[in-house]
Amino acid sequence: MNGKEKSILDTVEKYYQDYGFRARELNAEGRKFIGYTCSFVPLEMITAAGCIPFRVRGNIHEPITTGDTLLETIVCPYYRSCFDMSAKQKYDFLSGLVIPHGCDSMVRSYSVWSYSLPYSYFHFVNIPTVCSESSFEFFSAELNTFRKSLEKFTGKRITDDALAQAIRAYNEYRDKVRALYEFRKSDPPLIAGSEVTRVLTVGSSLPISEANVLLDQVLAEIGRREKTRLKKGPRLFIDGACIDNIELIKLVEESGGHVVADALCNGARDHFPHTDVGGDPVDALSRRYLGKINCPKTYRENKEGTFEGDTAVRFGDIGAYAREFKVDGAILYVYKYCDPFGFEVPARKAYFKSINVPLLHLEDVYSGGTIGQLRTRIQAFLEMMG
Amino acid sequence: MLLVLGIDIGSASSKGIVLGGRGVLGSFECPSGGDFKSAAGRIREVLLSQAGISAEKVSRTVATGYGSKLVSFADDSKSDIACHAKGVSSLLPSVRTVVDVGDLYTKVFRINGDGSVHKFLLSGKCAGGSGRILQVMAKVLRVKVEEIGELSLKSEKRIEFNTGCAVFAESEAISRISQEVKKEDLIAGIHRALAAQINSLVERLGVEQEVAMVGGGARDVGLVHALREIRGHGILVPQEPHMTAALGAALFAMENLSG
Repeated sequence: MNGKEKSILDTVEKYYQDYGFRARELNAEGRKFIGYTCSFVPLEMITAAGCIPFRVRGNIHEPITTGDTLLETIVCPYYRSCFDMSAKQKYDFLSGLVIPHGCDSMVRSYSVWSYSLPYSYFHFVNIPTVCSESSFEFFSAELNTFRKSLEKFTGKRITDDALAQAIRAYNEYRDKVRALYEFRKSDPPLIAGSEVTRVLTVGSSLPISEANVLLDQVLAEIGRREKTRLKKGPRLFIDGACIDNIELIKLVEESGGHVVADALCNGARDHFPHTDVGGDPVDALSRRYLGKINCPKTYRENKEGTFEGDTAVRFGDIGAYAREFKVDGAILYVYKYCDPFGFEVPARKAYFKSINVPLLHLEDVYSGGTIGQLRTRIQAFLEMMG
Repeated sequence: MLLVLGIDIGSASSKGIVLGGRGVLGSFECPSGGDFKSAAGRIREVLLSQAGISAEKVSRTVATGYGSKLVSFADDSKSDIACHAKGVSSLLPSVRTVVDVGDLYTKVFRINGDGSVHKFLLSGKCAGGSGRILQVMAKVLRVKVEEIGELSLKSEKRIEFNTGCAVFAESEAISRISQEVKKEDLIAGIHRALAAQINSLVERLGVEQEVAMVGGGARDVGLVHALREIRGHGILVPQEPHMTAALGAALFAMENLSG
């Protein structure tokens, strides 16, 4: 690429810095946006209803102020920041908000969100906590309730055809994200971890049609990079909830390492699983969201009978990614007061040990001001890997 | 003659060592004072004058510590964990577990025979479990922080603190003062509480003998005594325990030169 050509990554950076820029433009043209807060919300349903799903993001650089006047601080700082940004009307272009049973904080604070924010539509999606056959049946019924609720809000029916079409569009997007991850496989990677997270963060703020076009452009541009500009360094995996900012990843990069794979809500956890096509679209969504999103909030029965067997099944995807992306070590990044991940820390630690991947466990408070304190830990961890 | 510098810019105090072929030629410590850059500059100036050389004669400088990024004249930076390990290993080769009590954190790490680190743990992000509480207490009791170690050893009736939080401990101490508790008993209680917190970090990481204590906190004989008492075994303390990271940084610089 010559210097005169505009890089698509400049557009990504602009949308990343001014999150919701494109949504405000489209909203001014009359498009309806529905906010969501977790990977368990079936975006295909919102899209099939003719609305645009928009992932509500926190701001690691902005102190939580208004939010804390309305919400108790036992809620994790990431979710409090998402609420704070909403309460400060950062996302006033939204027409509605959908919150799933993604964790206790989401359930318990749902009423606060619905009473405090000026949107005309709110819906709570009940996600089963277990994963048995009856759970899928229940979740399909729950998705049909969500469907009816959206139909009432928009005044239009959601047809099976529209759902199937939305499922195809999201599957297409997920294929493209997988292709983007392929560029991380070379050593050193062709694309920096911070670039991937920027792209995925921006992708969750766009209509799926635009997100697909954006990914095509990004893939084409990275594909044209003949040589990586990155230096060789330890290859890290990040395990955790949603990291919607690049500060931690930048810290790894500044310390000479690379983030090459992850099990994050706005990374592989959300983007790798596909929805089956051809059958009943609602049942397919039920299987995809409940069965394939591997989140600690879901209890999966221990069929192996042993602790080792159980962790191998529960976290097998992590091991597979670690091998596929040839990682040298991993960071388990957990927000303070995050119950689902907090409870799983010992099991996850044991699993990383069992697959011989050195692990650094970090607890953080979702604040740009304190992230520098993680530098010593990350630097020492990378030094240990040589 | 090859000359190298190791500069350790800590959150409270900054340290430097100039190393030549025959060993340490000079060392210096000053408060970081909220301006890491000028602390680094001052240390370099003093070290150069101690060794009687000009800046051009320095073959390599390695920086470490919380403010290492701001040492503009450094050729490389290393984590203070790696530097402490290197420094301790050169002074006390039998040590396999190091406890570094700094102003900002307490760090515990396990080292190999060659001084490389293979495991580490840090205290949490707040001041609980770090050396900061000693400064806070010294201020509350109006004694010099250098004196609290000796005072603590004089205690005959230690006060029990049941908080690990530096802020709560401060208010608890103030309420005890109002009950006319002796200073030495209060300090011994704080040392015990801090040592207990440090010990749980040590237990979580797992111990391999021998154990050394470094960092500013290791200069406090009261704290070292309290940790020895809790652990029930000896703890080695190098002569200048606050200088081991700077020494390690200088050793890394020297190692790099000799390739």
